[in-house]
Parts: sequence; structure tokens; C-alpha cells
Amino acid sequence: MAEMWISMGPQHPMTHGLWTLKVKVDGETVVDTEPDLGFIHRGVEKICESRDFTQITTYCDRLCYASANTWSHAYIYAVEDLLEVEVPERAEYIRLIAVELQRIASHLMWLGAYGPDIGNLSIMVWCLREREMMMDLLQELGGSRMHYNFPRIGGVKRDLPYGFAQRARAKLELFKQRIQEYESLFDESTVFLVRTQGVGYTKAEEMINHGVTGPNVRAAGVDYDVRWAHPYSVYSELDWAPAVERSSIKGADCYDRYRVRVTEMVESANMVLEALDRMPGGAETHYEPKDPAIIAKAPSRAPEGTFGSHHFEDSRGESMFHIVGGGEGRGKNPYRVSIRSPMFITIPYASKCMIGYKVADIPAIMGSFDPCIGETDR
Amino acid sequence: MGKRVSAESQKEAVLQILEDLSQIEGVEAEILTKNNGTQTRHIAYINCSPESWRELAECMKYDHHIDYCSMITGIHWPESAEKNWEVVYHFLRTGVIDPKISPNGSTITPNITDTRDLSGKDVPIEVQVNIAIPETRTPSVASVQDIWIGADWNEKETWDLVGIDFDGHRGMRRVLNPHETPPGYHPLQKQHKLRYHGFEEMYDDAQGFLRKAPDAGRVK
Repeated sequence: MAEMWISMGPQHPMTHGLWTLKVKVDGETVVDTEPDLGFIHRGVEKICESRDFTQITTYCDRLCYASANTWSHAYIYAVEDLLEVEVPERAEYIRLIAVELQRIASHLMWLGAYGPDIGNLSIMVWCLREREMMMDLLQELGGSRMHYNFPRIGGVKRDLPYGFAQRARAKLELFKQRIQEYESLFDESTVFLVRTQGVGYTKAEEMINHGVTGPNVRAAGVDYDVRWAHPYSVYSELDWAPAVERSSIKGADCYDRYRVRVTEMVESANMVLEALDRMPGGAETHYEPKDPAIIAKAPSRAPEGTFGSHHFEDSRGESMFHIVGGGEGRGKNPYRVSIRSPMFITIPYASKCMIGYKVADIPAIMGSFDPCIGETDR
Repeated sequence: MGKRVSAESQKEAVLQILEDLSQIEGVEAEILTKNNGTQTRHIAYINCSPESWRELAECMKYDHHIDYCSMITGIHWPESAEKNWEVVYHFLRTGVIDPKISPNGSTITPNITDTRDLSGKDVPIEVQVNIAIPETRTPSVASVQDIWIGADWNEKETWDLVGIDFDGHRGMRRVLNPHETPPGYHPLQKQHKLRYHGFEEMYDDAQGFLRKAPDAGRVK
């Protein structure tokens, strides 16, 4: 049969954003693919060169709407590396709580969007219901619903509000019960199993060579996680283990990538509960903003010749910033900010691993990698 | 106490790799220690000449198992002659290997790393490689697309945004800029200024009467 190229996107329910997947098909079989990105390239890296270090946090929040908090934290850790700021331990605990709550919210957003991809519409509203609880908690911390602008260089914007610990514990316990309901909706749904099992196999070593990390690689039966391999924050103080999936011998399929994220959400919920218990000073205490217990003094300028970078476990893989100091305003602005987006690297890989499957499998495979175009195009 | 790779084992692994890599001609390697944060970080910090980059890359991948290319950053330094352009590579050694097939033959046994047992070439480390390119209008370094496939799109992005070319890179094209961007236009080069750059809109011209791009009519 004759081969032909068809364009999925930029407007297509499969894409989860604005990008094009060019697919070469032979009948119903995918022969070749080529992703085309950059539809919402905003030039964040260029904009950052004319903003000072504090202002950039807001831009980093807007890199990904589903996972705003992890991105601003990834940036803040790189700046603290550049400016050599030591953060109070209590602030690190608050950050950990904020990031892990965001990770749960991000995975729930993914799960909610993945359901309609493969013909299970009711899961969308279930997941958004649970996500609402996480967003309420994050709103208490950051003050807004989506783009929190919560971390500060040297600490956090404000301490946990009064009663936050109690509400967080109640909501996370409820969440842990409700996530068991998902198994009846997903793991017992024949439609879901048929469409996700046995498609989109990926191997761990191959993924690492392609630059794919995070839940996608942990689905293939390895427990690599930046949070323990390059420890930052207070992860090493808590008792946790990264979620790992026991995949099939051919590698991880879409079902494994779904399972690993569900396990990871429970793991994150447990981490937040433990962090609330172990926080120095107690989770019920409330320090005023700018108290040295939650924010350290940080210089506002970085001299020429300095640079900083930090590997960070985002909800989609390893994100990182490389920041060079000594920009305009005698070092007030960075000279260069470079962003590593996990999805920018994962999308080309995901497009290649659907070769050989049918056209109808494309949404199932692509969706299982959790694409987010805001951070991809930057 | 959760699991973590200790700073001491990372330091040891970094020193070990630096000893080997600094044997290569044109490579200066040192250990970079960062003390802020909850744990001291030890980074293998390598300065490499553009000519020996390929040799260093092969040594890193095949002799030292640095299996993951994290990020490539291109930097334009218009005022400097010997470091007119700079390429910064970030690598990680993840130590990921495919999990073994379990005895029943249908599933695998997941690899659960015990961080206390890690030694030698299994310890996860960070590597940063800087390559300075002297003054030129056509900067380029060797591509490592065939060694780490993850470098492929990073190199595309670096060329697209900064204009540093990668010799031997197959399939170079615009990825973030529009496909019809004029050749030679790379927005992160420093001669391109942001529109309204240095213009305090909020204070100088609140109503925006004077607002006009300084390069209006000249830049497409």
C-alpha cells in the first residue's frame, strides 16, 4: 500500500497542547514519525536576561500550568547554587511539601487527561475532583490557584498557615482512600486494559541514552531518581522509596507508565504526611513572613564568571536550570538562563517508540508519556 | 533516614574520573565543590578544547559509563576574543541497566539500588564540560549525537537559539523558532535586543504613547 504523511496537530485531542506530530502511515501502521514543536515558543530564556533574579520566578511558574510549583523550585535551587545561599531547614521542609503536593496535582491532571484519550471519560472528573483538594492546599500556601510564585531565593514566601497541617492530613488521608477507587475504574475496565497493555514498549537503558528520566524510566523497572542520586532538599531525612513498576520482559508499556504514576502519587502523599510530622519547629507553628526561620538573606547580584545549576526531579523527569551570572545592572540580571525541559527530550523519543503500532495506538502511547507543551516550547 | 548517595562516595568517584580524563590532551579537569544545600555536591568540572571534545566524549561514555546527556547550553560572549562562544554540557552518570528477567520468564525483577553498596563506576555523579570557542562568525563543535541520542534535540535547540553549529549532526533544523526564520538569525545572540529593552514602560511612558520598537522596520 502507498505510504503517506499525515499531520496530527497542531489542533488535535491527542497532542495535549499545541504541537504537530507528522505521522507516515502505511495503511493503519505507523512507519515513521516526526515531531514539530515550537508553536508556543515564548522566548522565556531571552526574557530572563532582562529580568532580575526574583522576577524570573514568575516566568518559571508559567512554564507548565500543570506543574508550576516544581518549575519555580527547580529555578530557585539553581539560583541558590549560583548565589551560594544556605536555606533554613524548616523552609526546605515547606518546599518539599509544596513540591510533592504539586507532583500529586500534576499526575492527577495527567491521569484526568489520559482517560479521555483512550475512551474513559468519567475518569476526568474524578481526577479533577481530587486535584481540587491539592490545589486548595497549594492555594493556602501560595495565594493563587495555579501559578503560586511560592519559593523565594533563600526560603519560602510564607510559612504554613494556621491549621494547614490538620487540613493537609485530612485531605491526604481521604486522597489515599479515593485513589483505591481508581483501580476499579481503570484496572477493571476492559477498554482501558486493551488499549494500554502491550503497546509502546520502552527499555530502561534505551530511555536513559535518549535522555528520558522520571516516572517514564521508573516504569521500566529501575529506581533511578534524582531525589536520591543527587540529594537536595530534605528528601534524605524522610523514609521513602521511589515508585518502581515490575514491567514485562519487553519493557514498560503504557499500562506500566500509568501504574507507576499512581504509586508515585501515594508515595508523595506519604512523604508530605511524614514531612508534616518531622518538620523542625512543628507544623502547627506559624512564623511571620521574612522570619529567619523560613527565609535566609540572599545577595541580589551575581558577579561575572559565576554560574550555577541544579538537577531537579520534576513530575515529568529531570528538569534543570543553568544560570550564568554577571548580566545587566552589574550582575542584577543573569547573563544567560538555560532551561532543560524533560518533555522537550521525551517527545522526540515518544514519537519514535510508536513506530510499528497502529494509528489508533498513537493517543495511548503519546499520552502515557505525560506531554506538557508549555515547558517543551518555553 | 531515607536513601541517598553520600557526598564522600561521590567525591571519590569524581576524583577517580578526573584522574583519567585529564590525561587527554587539551582537557583540564578539576573538582567543583558546592557547600550550600543540604548536602555537599561534588561536580566534575572539565574545560575542553574544541579539537579534543570528541575524544573526551568517547572516553566518558565508553570508559566511564556516563550514560545520560542532560543539557547543552550555548552562550554568546561578544566582548571576549578567546571565549567568543561557549558550549556547556551537563552529564549524569545514572548507572541504569535493564532489569533482569525473573525466573518464571514473564516479568522482570526491578533494579532496586542499595546506595550503601555503590562503588567505583556505579556511583551517580554530575559532570559539567565547558568548551570555549575563539572568535569566529561560524562557531561549531563536534556533534555527540551518535554517542548520546539525548544530545540530538539539545544540539538542535542550541543551534536554533544560539547559532552554534554541531559538525556531523544529522538532520539539523529549526525546532523552536518558526521554520521560515531567516538563515543566520539566532535570537539568543547578544546583538539581538528585546524590543522595548531598557525601557521602563511603567514609569517612563505609562500610557504607551512613545512605544515603538527600536528596530522597527529593520528586523523581520
